[in-house]
Amino acid sequence: MLVDDLDEGFSHMVHVFQPGIYSGAFRLIRHPQDAQEVAQDTFVRAYLALERYDSERIASLQVRPWLWTIALNLCRNRATRAKPTTPLPSEDFVATTDEEPFDDEEWNARFALLPGPQRTAVVLRHIVDLPISEIVAITQRPEGTVKTDISRGLARLRKILEAEETT
Amino acid sequence: MKNIEATVRSLRTEPPHGLEMRTLIGAGAADQVTTIDSPFGPVWVGWSIRGVTGLTPRFACETVDDFLEIHRRNAYPADTIPRDLEDRIEDALVRGATMDVPVDLRGIAEFQRSVLSMCATIPPGTVRSYGWIAERLESPGAVRAVGTALGRNPIPLIIPCHRVVRSDGSVGNYAFGPEMKRELLIREGAILV
Repeated sequence: MLVDDLDEGFSHMVHVFQPGIYSGAFRLIRHPQDAQEVAQDTFVRAYLALERYDSERIASLQVRPWLWTIALNLCRNRATRAKPTTPLPSEDFVATTDEEPFDDEEWNARFALLPGPQRTAVVLRHIVDLPISEIVAITQRPEGTVKTDISRGLARLRKILEAEETT
Repeated sequence: MKNIEATVRSLRTEPPHGLEMRTLIGAGAADQVTTIDSPFGPVWVGWSIRGVTGLTPRFACETVDDFLEIHRRNAYPADTIPRDLEDRIEDALVRGATMDVPVDLRGIAEFQRSVLSMCATIPPGTVRSYGWIAERLESPGAVRAVGTALGRNPIPLIIPCHRVVRSDGSVGNYAFGPEMKRELLIREGAILV
């Protein structure tokens, strides 16, 4: 669709992939306004690139990993700017499941305790729901390392939660 | 404690309302539309981040839905238009300063885009023939095709197709009638036969 009609294909691409990018970016940079900017800038950059690409290059694109490569770079750039997290306006921020209420500040603090590669791998696998193969392509880390990052990241989060429950 | 994977998955969040629309507009993949006043009554204006994409007098297109129906691009209604763009459009409609208005002709077929771009170079107060545009495009036999391309001008008044007249000097056709074309040319100071 991107090859036949850039604007229509792009609109579809934003509709399908932006929710995941916003959700993942929010957990990676832990700031709602920055996450919005990342989720918007990713697609602005993608659109400018798509305008330059020929149809063959567009047809061969693996769209989601390509978008996430852009998004992850933007997240890294913003992460270097130390910024305190702020409470989220309730109307702008809705959990997709309401199994139990969670505190975003507390979860942001827990994610902040993970080493960067583990945080990225856990977020991409379990919040964005990407397959391992795409995380390998996005992070440029070997498959075994990505799997280890995910399991160690989850184990660390579990320990953090257990420690909180015992105190 | 419940499964840590399920707990992390429950942290998925929805993007804020309006982010998708702002993204499409911000990238230049979608337009905004609104009405502004003009010497010819209110006009619908569609614009992207790169320039004006469409313009139609309200007497020819009553509602925003009517305008969106004929507009070639995806567009969202807006309450206001950027001040600088509005000022430039006003200068074009009131004083004929059409060359100062940025236009965005993406999505228009190549030949028609060339015709419109050539037409946009005609200064206010002057007229050119359909043949003049055809010759400039090195397609001297395409006079009729030039007329067709101008007849489908999506940004009339800004891309001054009213400045293109018949080779005998008579005003010829116009989407909003020959009387309006004549009035526009007289307003700009063109000398008509």
